[in-house]
Amino acid sequence: MPNAILDPTGRTPVPREPGGAPRAARRPDLTGARIGLLENTKHNADRMLDEIAALLVAEHGAAEVVLRRTKQAFALPAPDELVAEFVEGCDVVITGVGDCGSCSASAVADGVVFEAAGLPAAVICSDAFVTTADAMADLRGAPGYAYATTAHPVAVLSPEQVADRAKHLVADVVALLTDGSR
Amino acid sequence: MTDLDPGSLDPGSLDPDMAQAAIEHCYEQGWSDGLPLVPVSRPLLERFLATVDRAPDEVIGHLPQFDRSVTVELAAINAAMAGCRPEYFPVVLAAWDALVLERSTGGGGWQSTSGPAPLIVVNGPVATELGINGAGGVFGPGFRANMTIGRAIGLIVRNAYGIRPHVLEQATQGLPGRWTMCIAENEAESPWEPLSVEAGVGPGVSAVSATLLRTSEFVDNRHTSSAEQLLADFADTLSRTGAWIFRNASAGVVFCPEHAQMLAAAGFGRAEVRAWLAEHCGRMVSDLAAVGKDGLGDKGVRHADGTREAGFDPLLASAEPKNLLLAVAGARNAGISMVVRIFSDWSGRAVPVRARERAEVGA
Repeated sequence: MPNAILDPTGRTPVPREPGGAPRAARRPDLTGARIGLLENTKHNADRMLDEIAALLVAEHGAAEVVLRRTKQAFALPAPDELVAEFVEGCDVVITGVGDCGSCSASAVADGVVFEAAGLPAAVICSDAFVTTADAMADLRGAPGYAYATTAHPVAVLSPEQVADRAKHLVADVVALLTDGSR
Repeated sequence: MTDLDPGSLDPGSLDPDMAQAAIEHCYEQGWSDGLPLVPVSRPLLERFLATVDRAPDEVIGHLPQFDRSVTVELAAINAAMAGCRPEYFPVVLAAWDALVLERSTGGGGWQSTSGPAPLIVVNGPVATELGINGAGGVFGPGFRANMTIGRAIGLIVRNAYGIRPHVLEQATQGLPGRWTMCIAENEAESPWEPLSVEAGVGPGVSAVSATLLRTSEFVDNRHTSSAEQLLADFADTLSRTGAWIFRNASAGVVFCPEHAQMLAAAGFGRAEVRAWLAEHCGRMVSDLAAVGKDGLGDKGVRHADGTREAGFDPLLASAEPKNLLLAVAGARNAGISMVVRIFSDWSGRAVPVRARERAEVGA
């Protein structure tokens, strides 16, 4: 009997939640919703989130942005205290922009955590990073996790171009944050 | 458990067909970086683990974003797969530990679009004992220890962390030499104290220094006998705008012996070289404006501004070693050195190589 060939990964299969990862309950629309924004320091991320939030207030009845935070380590998952702050203070959260090798995956990981904590989340990623974002969703037991994408590149856009992107993204963000009944 | 010592076998009894099948099996599992792997059995793993005095289940690296960990045993399996000999393993562990000290490797460095490559510099008697090349062709192939120690790091990242190209690794182009830049410092021909001594380890102690690079670029200067002219040539290459993305950048120079000796003869130690380059490396604001990199926002990333007054932006944040790693390697046959581009900054700390006492190996 020959010796076995050893596995170099040390990996044990991820247990899958029956029925998929938990998802926060959705409201039919955003009327009166308090918005939280978690930006990840990527160039134009803060502007993009602000523009989307302004449209949610102006056109979809959201109350206002009540919490703006910057993720200090964009590659890593948001710390528990930061997640708790959003869960306590907001009705919905928008986060991104996933615009690099690590922060795209990490934005999706945050979205999965927000959902499990009961807070509907809309993650924004550049469309150049969907493979790594989807891989992270798989790793977090949330295969097929839905997020909004915008065309790459984002960092070089002018303020006017960012505003234009936000106009195109807002319908996707509303769809991600509501139950679609209205 | 069969334990065949490969060195004691009659070559005529070796089975190439079985070996090939085992190599193909490793490819099929997705473990390979593209080159053939050494299939690892328990006896081979035990020979690796016997070279160090560390528990196999000791966790030596963890990435919270994936909840994946590297243990001493996983590192040993990957080092063996990479083609290392068991006695290289203490150097692999020291290189890994040195990389863990780097700020960038605990964040998203291994996933980055820049696809950074470890630079591993070995000092001390272990370099000679293991045949780690520090002389001619130091960045090139031809030496088992140099090639396989660097490769071992790459396989650990790929397999133990699960960071693979096109998926969790998002390198836009990556760079030549990724996973192969393991060099010995040429202590015999360096005029300066070993890099490891500057990085906090005692003289004569084998140690590894490591950081992540974005690229390397040669400086060929066989043209001047002036130390200042030579340093100015390095400053020009170091100060290129293309590699400069934040307020400041960190870099390094792997000097060939000829350049290092010329500088030393003119009275330059490592600290003096660093001070000279910290003062002279940089660009005029107008140069930076011409390429859209003059703006300095509060997040530290440069951007196109166009409104700044004339002035000079220094490249290096300071003359500390963390901003400018200086080593000596290569042959003494020409004035050809290598400028290297550090991904974030260098920890400035070397890690001693901790091998188990030889008498205990195999006991």
